[in-house]
Amino acid sequence: MEDVATYESWKTCFSELAPGLVLFARQWARSPADAEDIVQEAFVRFWRTQRDITNRGLLYASVRSIALDFIRRDSRRARRESVAMSEIDQNVAPAFETEDDTQRALVAAMELLPGDQREVLTLKIWNDLTFAEIASALGISQNTAASRYRYALAALKKNLATT
Amino acid sequence: MNDFSEIENQLKKLRPAQPSADLMSRIERALADEEKSMPTAAVLPRERRFNFNWISRGLGLAAAAALLMFAFVRLQKPTNGKPAIASTAPAPATATNSSAFVPAGLTQVVYHTRDEGLHFPTSSTQPMRRVRSQTRETLQWRNPKTGATLRISYPREEVSLTPVSGQ
Repeated sequence: MEDVATYESWKTCFSELAPGLVLFARQWARSPADAEDIVQEAFVRFWRTQRDITNRGLLYASVRSIALDFIRRDSRRARRESVAMSEIDQNVAPAFETEDDTQRALVAAMELLPGDQREVLTLKIWNDLTFAEIASALGISQNTAASRYRYALAALKKNLATT
Repeated sequence: MNDFSEIENQLKKLRPAQPSADLMSRIERALADEEKSMPTAAVLPRERRFNFNWISRGLGLAAAAALLMFAFVRLQKPTNGKPAIASTAPAPATATNSSAFVPAGLTQVVYHTRDEGLHFPTSSTQPMRRVRSQTRETLQWRNPKTGATLRISYPREEVSLTPVSGQ
């Protein structure tokens, strides 16, 4: 993953980053298709101006920004379809490829985390961002990013112990 | 080794679902389209934003000017009930002076500001933070002789783009 910063071809960069980017976007999108639309828009805009992945914090910041715009645009539709979506959500493709009950329990525990902790966890574990990059992407301090990460791990550990 | 190494290892074993196969080709098409439309896209969005602001401000000032002229006509109208056409004769200098309004103030009240996040204008090489603010501007004139005031208020919307530097 470290070499991604120096890759020149967008395809190489994107194929490395895509699963983590889509996972990050799925925190705000109700469906995988919406998350992919967000990632597509963010990556195209990012690549047009940056041409490399040196500034990963900015890439994730743009995904987050576009996802929040998407939520605002989509809020009216969301209200209209809220009842229907509550049923559809049960059938939406999962965000992770789970292999056993332990992993499924872990995914379920993650869904209970507050959003601000979950986004730090997603950036740290599945996108390999440093706390400095996370801080840049989310507009928070490195200390806040690190403490949210620790709180998330503690909460997961506690939730898994009780199940 | 911290207390969380075990849970971290468990998390790292989880693999995010793979994106759909056509995402890459969609991005390829989008990047190709961007390249094709770059010259036009580099100019139009920014022009439109600033035109909107100038139109808004221009309409407000035009309305202010029209109301000001209307106010002058009303003030110069004789009060004895005769038709306005009857007063075509030059008014006395004192009457003209008494109807002179002088600018007395301008207030700008920003009543709504919204941070619209990062944007990537095609004409710029770096991302910009877009902030939209809605303001009500009030222009005020006062007649020092009679104490009469004239106030005109109109809404204004402003979009500001601030360059964002990455760390």
